[in-house]
Amino acid sequence: MLSEMGSQLIDLCSALLLLTCFAIVAQRRLAACVDLFALQSAFLAGTAALVGFLTDNHHVYVTAAMTGVVKVIIIPVVLKKVIQRLNVKRELVMNVNVPVALLICGALVILAFFITRPIIPLGHVLTRDSLAIALAIILIGLFTMIARQKAVTQLVGFLVVENGLFLGATAATHGMPFVVELGVFFDVLVAALIAGIYTNRLQDAFDSVDTSHLTGLKE
Amino acid sequence: MTDWLVTAAAAMLVVAPLLAGGLSLAVRRSSLLHAINLTSMGLLVVSEILISRIVLNDGSLAVLGASMYFDALSVFVLFIIGTVGLACSLYMRSYLDEQVARGVIAPNRLNLFFFLFHMFLLAMVLATTANSIGVQWVAVEATTLATTFLIAFWRRRESLEAGWKYLILCSVGISLALFGVVLVYYSSLHVLSDVGKALNVTELLPVADRLNQHVLKLAFIFILVGYGTKVGLVPMHSWLPDAYTEAPAPVVAMLAGVLEVVAVYAILRIKMIVDHAVPASFSGNLLLLLGFASFVTAALFILVQRNYKRLFAYSSIEHMGIAMIGFGIGGTVGTFGGLFHLLNHAFAKSVAFFAAGNVHRRFRTVDISQVQGVMVAQPWTAMALLFAGLALSALPPGALFASETSIVTALTASGGAENGAVALSAPLAGENGRMGLVAVFLLSAVLAFGGLIYRVTTMVWGTPQQDIVQGEAWTAGHVPMVLLIAALVGFGSALPPPLRELLGRATNLLLLQ
Repeated sequence: MLSEMGSQLIDLCSALLLLTCFAIVAQRRLAACVDLFALQSAFLAGTAALVGFLTDNHHVYVTAAMTGVVKVIIIPVVLKKVIQRLNVKRELVMNVNVPVALLICGALVILAFFITRPIIPLGHVLTRDSLAIALAIILIGLFTMIARQKAVTQLVGFLVVENGLFLGATAATHGMPFVVELGVFFDVLVAALIAGIYTNRLQDAFDSVDTSHLTGLKE
Repeated sequence: MTDWLVTAAAAMLVVAPLLAGGLSLAVRRSSLLHAINLTSMGLLVVSEILISRIVLNDGSLAVLGASMYFDALSVFVLFIIGTVGLACSLYMRSYLDEQVARGVIAPNRLNLFFFLFHMFLLAMVLATTANSIGVQWVAVEATTLATTFLIAFWRRRESLEAGWKYLILCSVGISLALFGVVLVYYSSLHVLSDVGKALNVTELLPVADRLNQHVLKLAFIFILVGYGTKVGLVPMHSWLPDAYTEAPAPVVAMLAGVLEVVAVYAILRIKMIVDHAVPASFSGNLLLLLGFASFVTAALFILVQRNYKRLFAYSSIEHMGIAMIGFGIGGTVGTFGGLFHLLNHAFAKSVAFFAAGNVHRRFRTVDISQVQGVMVAQPWTAMALLFAGLALSALPPGALFASETSIVTALTASGGAENGAVALSAPLAGENGRMGLVAVFLLSAVLAFGGLIYRVTTMVWGTPQQDIVQGEAWTAGHVPMVLLIAALVGFGSALPPPLRELLGRATNLLLLQ
């Protein structure tokens, strides 16, 4: 009984993660994108804590706590600081407009379920569908990076990809070995900080964080 | 006795760059920074020679609570890290001093350069020696983070652009590889009981044939695309020419000579696991596909280059493609050729970028049409450039001739499964298909040869412009070029027995023998 309810709760949490992805794709204001990312990370932390509780894996709690600290608090705060320095608060030119982008994301979700269908039955009963959702989130994150031009939005896309990976790792496999998770956290944190520094330098050098200005290097 | 020695040597591999990186931050004097760097590189090479001797005697081993794993393949990659790293350190001695003297690098930023360089080395050593493929992923991502500021070190607009592209493309590519690692873990859920060690190569390899085929296939595709981005395989290569043009010369030599090899190694590790469960033709055909895509595309781009650093960058893509073809076709000849090619390319490309760095400092431009008469202005550099051009076009006496020949031999002879070569996918299996592949290979090789030699010779010969200083003093930076060239010529005629043994063992590992 408990496991059935747990399974449904995990599915619900994963679905909420996916939903925030769509919201990020549809959002034009940079600060709101960061807020949505923080919300998504909070759902991720919730999912991880739930998995930890249902499977009695204590190190997943630590993962959940670290997600809370790093992705819900530190990275969004840093990104907000970066955005305050920028001269543009909104995504003005979009490579793909919002309705089309949302349709493409829908197609990506279907693709993710299609790719993972043969391997879904191998997973733990509790968290089966999360692997497909994780892949969907990864694909949508990648798409966001292609479809948006501001360095900050691209960074948010990258972080969404990382969230998808973490959902895959915690939900589908009940957590990777602890050293690996620790290392991945460290890498994500450093990558986000470095990208933040870059955004500042791009702003200074180009007076813009629009990556469409980055066209000096060609054949 | 040997246990104690191996543990100490393995620990030294990690401790030396870590300590050197920490010390570099505290030190300001340039001579001291160089001394620390050379000491740490020296220690690295010594421990690695020790470990390779023991691995050659006793076979593969896991140390430090099975967190590090050494076999012939990883020791071979360590050898490349050590030798090219040492060569770069020697080259940096004259290169960095000149940049500081010219005011290109502020003296107080020099220690930052060394710090990042040591972290880069540390990450590569970890990526090579880690037993867990999860830790290996963390280390490969760490190489991206350590090098992005090295690439953007000049802080010009173009270098910021190159650094940003590199960071974003490689981080994304590598995220896909992490999904692949998660999938490998997923496949081992029902097979391995100890979840804490389920990503260790030592645990995965013995049970690899019981892992689920579907999951492993999917995992291999994700990992190949992910680490392939880092190798610079087409179509994930677009960051590479930019980064190689903008980064300081010693950094490029490390990127082209070593980092690519480490990324290839990460792919080969997974290939070994996947090949246990899935017929080798699956991974082999994928490698062949990416290999040919890279080789042909790069050969075409080499023809139209006007920038000599981009020229060498595309040549890197070309040679990684050739090595991938070698691993893809498999068999003793192909795999051996692939590994040998990695080694030769690392050496030749380091020489090429050292020479390119010298030319850039003298002529102040990367435009080929603006550079003439290097032979008059910088005779030593010109000879190195000419040799690198010849070697990279796979002409004798460079050893790339030998390795490329063995790869094309494997390609011609494949189809015969008797020597362990993989079966090609159906449309290519016939006599015509195979000969078609060989023809494409040779045609691309000829194109690359023509483009490279033509561009290099226009730079070397002729008379330099009036304002170019003529004459070249012998510096510490010339030593590694001479040594690497000597090694390449030597390898071309005969491999030293320990190295041959190492390569042979690594080949057997890859062929699962």
